[in-house]
Amino acid sequence: MKKKFSGYWATFEFLDDLCGAIKELRSSGYKEITTHSPCPRHEIDHSLGDPQSRVPFFTLIFGMVGTVTAYTMANWMSVDWVLPVSSKPLVTFIPYTVIAFELTVLMGAYGTIVGMLFLIYKGTRAKTFPISKEYKEYNRFLNDRFGLVVSCDKGDFTKVEMLLKKYSAEEVYNEG
Amino acid sequence: MSVLTYAKINDSVIASLEPPKYKWYLSMLIILSALGAGLFALGYQIMHGLEGSGITTPTFWGVYITDFVFWVGIAHAGTLISAVLFLTRAPFRTSIYRASEAMTVFAVITAGLFPLIHLGRIWNFYWFIPYPTQRMLWVNFKSPLLWDVFAVSTYMSVSIAFFLVGLVPDFASVRDHAKGAKKYFYGLMALGFRGTNIQWVHYMRGYLLFAALATPLVFSVHSIVSWDFAMSSIPGWHTTIFAPYFVAGAIFSGCAMVITIMIPMRAIFPGFGKIITVKHLEALAKMIIFTGGIVTYAYSIEFFIAYYSGSQYERALFWYRPFGELNGFFWLMVLCNCVGPIPLWRKKIRTNLVALFIISIVINIGMWLERFNIVVTSTAHDFIPFVWAGYTFQWVEIWVTVGSFAWFFMWFFMFVKLMPSLAIAELKEGLTPPLRHKCQHCLPASGSYR
Repeated sequence: MKKKFSGYWATFEFLDDLCGAIKELRSSGYKEITTHSPCPRHEIDHSLGDPQSRVPFFTLIFGMVGTVTAYTMANWMSVDWVLPVSSKPLVTFIPYTVIAFELTVLMGAYGTIVGMLFLIYKGTRAKTFPISKEYKEYNRFLNDRFGLVVSCDKGDFTKVEMLLKKYSAEEVYNEG
Repeated sequence: MSVLTYAKINDSVIASLEPPKYKWYLSMLIILSALGAGLFALGYQIMHGLEGSGITTPTFWGVYITDFVFWVGIAHAGTLISAVLFLTRAPFRTSIYRASEAMTVFAVITAGLFPLIHLGRIWNFYWFIPYPTQRMLWVNFKSPLLWDVFAVSTYMSVSIAFFLVGLVPDFASVRDHAKGAKKYFYGLMALGFRGTNIQWVHYMRGYLLFAALATPLVFSVHSIVSWDFAMSSIPGWHTTIFAPYFVAGAIFSGCAMVITIMIPMRAIFPGFGKIITVKHLEALAKMIIFTGGIVTYAYSIEFFIAYYSGSQYERALFWYRPFGELNGFFWLMVLCNCVGPIPLWRKKIRTNLVALFIISIVINIGMWLERFNIVVTSTAHDFIPFVWAGYTFQWVEIWVTVGSFAWFFMWFFMFVKLMPSLAIAELKEGLTPPLRHKCQHCLPASGSYR
């Protein structure tokens, strides 16, 4: 069974406050941190230690599958039903490169979507989140507020709350 | 002028999604009437065959193929703006890319219909696709027409996916402010997006890859469309310049269409004027000047090569275009595409929205005529003088063409009311973020950031 969330979530008006809080929480040993932001900001990534995405791996694999499928399909079909045109070779690669290019891009694009969805699902499942109504219904994370969710034991609640308030968190809630 | 903030961007875009007013319904009524007329004409053609089109011996390709190439061309600017300018980090892209991407999707959906309409026996369209028939007869992968099937369908799939992926964070923004059935709809489209760092990091990397994949696709699709012509041996078509010439023409016409759409849009929605600035439209006008130059060069070099090649058929065809019975279309094309953009060299004109709007429409007309000139004059005037013919427009193809514009605008009008027509998250990314300590050494300023 998935672990229940225990920790704090807070909202921030300013990006530098959020980044400061993340850095201090990380240096105090709190590693399970999730942020919310209205748009992607590299400052947040830098504060979180520059996490990398493995989406390109999916794109590459799917793209390669597309290339191989296209060449195989075109050559096999040309041999399966022989349609000789101007003595041109049946098994060939140059004219089929157009088909291969298109299928590489098509499969690569689908692979990117699959990779994105899979990695987001996997990354989200690996963490715990608050289950309170306030958190679930908070509607300014994609508008004009930054959010921070940090997991911690009950014993650390006071310390974490003080730290969040030190960085001018607007709203601070605990759970668990 | 008040400074843009994250909240102001949200408000402007969400306000554009409010229930439409009577002007929208009135426009939609006109659009649907035109679409109805187009569908009637198409229905007539399905019942009676291609007799209602101007297609005849030897002009087997007529207005439908012209429309196909025209709409594929229009589609190009959207991907160019969304993908190529994303990779090159062009600052004017953010405000216009969502609407141009929508334009791409709807234009390519429109374009995809024309090869089917042109077939006449529209119900046999699936013969294009390699599927196991009873006789195990496969398609010919060496034919440029089949390449085109793959190119256009890939382009359509990838541009729709790119468009929808780009919309996810913005759907989430709208969801957070919606109520009732709207909240459910936008929530479904947002796929649970809440702007967490896990979501952003994979999303942004995926988006970058999408842009990287879409970039060569932009150039390949119209190149492949041009090979439909260039791989044949018909005079006027069999030239190596076709691929770059078609791509430049596509960007030229696409940018013009973006301007045609953007200027009324920023006038209709009050908040958009601050976001889509004159500077952004001016940048598009500069792109028109550049691609217009390439198009003019291509027109000239085609004539030079016809002379220089020594081929009598090429020479005859290139004499026929400006001086034959269809010369009106040729000279009008030259006027619209080569002379039309010249006033844009003056800053005063390219920053004047009325002038820009008129020039963009002139270019759209010119680019339709360019495709008509390429498609029709070469087939009407090929190797056998005995069968040479002109071209007579018929009512069915005229109404199908009008219907295609209605079809395109129907989707666009629905888009502006159902989907965020400006990219909320990317516009915010372009702003200087809200900072308590305005320390420019700590965080980069807007513009230099991305």
